[in-house]
Amino acid sequence: MNAPAVTDKAVPRSERSQARRFAGWREHHGWSATASLHRLGGRPFGTLLTVAVLGLALVLPLAFYLLLANVQSMGSALGRNPAISVFLKADQAGAQANLLAGELRGRRDVAAVSVKTPQQGLDELAALEGFSGAVHALDDANPLPWVLVVQPRDGLDAAAVGRLVEALRGERAVDLVQDSGQWRQRLDALLDIGHRTVLVLAGLLALAALLVVGNTVRTDIAGRSEEIGVLMLLGASRAFVRRPYLYAGIWYGLFGGLLASLLALAIELALAGPAAELSRAYGGTLTLAALPWWLLLAVPLAAAVLGWIGARLVSAWQLRRAA
Amino acid sequence: MIRFDQVSKRYEGGHEALSQLSFEVATGEMAFVTGHSGAGKSTLLKLIALIERPSHGDIVVDGQRLAKVGRGGIPRLRRRLGMVFQDHRLLMDRTVFDNVELPLLIGGIAPAERGRRVRAALEKVGLLAYERQLPASLSTGEQQRVGIARAIVARPAVLIADEPTGNLDPQLAVEIMGLFAEFQNIGTTVLVASHDLPLIKRMKKRVVVLDHGRLVADVAAEEVL
Repeated sequence: MNAPAVTDKAVPRSERSQARRFAGWREHHGWSATASLHRLGGRPFGTLLTVAVLGLALVLPLAFYLLLANVQSMGSALGRNPAISVFLKADQAGAQANLLAGELRGRRDVAAVSVKTPQQGLDELAALEGFSGAVHALDDANPLPWVLVVQPRDGLDAAAVGRLVEALRGERAVDLVQDSGQWRQRLDALLDIGHRTVLVLAGLLALAALLVVGNTVRTDIAGRSEEIGVLMLLGASRAFVRRPYLYAGIWYGLFGGLLASLLALAIELALAGPAAELSRAYGGTLTLAALPWWLLLAVPLAAAVLGWIGARLVSAWQLRRAA
Repeated sequence: MIRFDQVSKRYEGGHEALSQLSFEVATGEMAFVTGHSGAGKSTLLKLIALIERPSHGDIVVDGQRLAKVGRGGIPRLRRRLGMVFQDHRLLMDRTVFDNVELPLLIGGIAPAERGRRVRAALEKVGLLAYERQLPASLSTGEQQRVGIARAIVARPAVLIADEPTGNLDPQLAVEIMGLFAEFQNIGTTVLVASHDLPLIKRMKKRVVVLDHGRLVADVAAEEVL
């Protein structure tokens, strides 16, 4: 029992008091964190309302992010190999079709060319629901042309694909060129707009979260002005008085962020069923894009920081007025 | 020790609450400040606690010139003071123990030491049995004693009290004043603002009399009839 006392005496007085001050500071942080949590628990309805508002505000950008990620994923799955359909003029025979196909196979920007006969085209049409009657009505006449399905080389950019399409249109035997990759370019452009919208939305809703926490803390401080006055008269520093309110801001943000992450997971689960159906319809090529785990963890942490900032800004202003 | 040197306080609007006030209360001395309502008693205490700043003059509290205390230094100064208020200023949603513990919590005192000191202070004012109760369940006199326990728990060098017996019956008022006198006996400087002349006479302590912010009499303890 004597050893600690000897050790204490060996430590200079200033260091001991500094260590005690640090211990006091740390202890007050613990006290503030638990006291603010108790205060939040003491008015459950108000706390739940604030947390719900924060959760709903923060889940919106997450939901948009999830939506965009899935649209992007579907676009990638469906438009992985956008083929160009080249319809030959009606007077062109199979020989010309095979000749042109051979020429095109020699191009560096073309990966593959397949030739589709008018009969194959008619069979595909007949297989489509609602078209079989119309095909039978044709009797033996087949109005469909020879078609070349041109597969551009992988990694070709939009401009190069555009040049290839123009070159195909320039062929004498070609009647019509249908570029199925164009929709992908349009989708990419729309997704880019979507991503920027998500960023702007996330920024605005983060600001809204900050204001919600700030306003809640402001009313909290206003309701406890008498207590704050007493603490200041007893010698409490502004940092001491402010600390429980900063922790309240952190708790609001953290719980709001957790709720947002849980809601995002719920949205993901709700989408899983229809997405699986869609995937089956496309032969299992589609997979539902999930929110990354780090994002689900980052949202509550970022929200806690936002709550702290909101509480700090408001409490600094309020306490300056109170002083 | 408390020293006022040519201290004046003029509020915005021109009202002069204190004028050219000079007096000194020595370390370990107990004194009363008295005068009619508006004489400047409360302003005097507010200047000591740096709730207000003087318009002119110099104040020294426990060796510290208040003119040199900046905004950041005010909490440190107040931690060296014990303050008792007429309306107690207790936190009604916290227990008696929690109220008395506040100055120690603010001062960063270790939990075990806090518990020991709070119980000692509550024992001193005869309220140890009420430590877990809320102030609202106590009588006015008991609430005032909680306020006193809170003022003395951090062992302040200076104890100031503003009309601490204002709402109490005479018997209880004497008991409370007796408590203040005990703190004086252990070296605390005590300054009590009160207009209860019979009580002041009974205590036989030094009396500083104010009238319209001016010092009109400074009666030594032995001269109080």
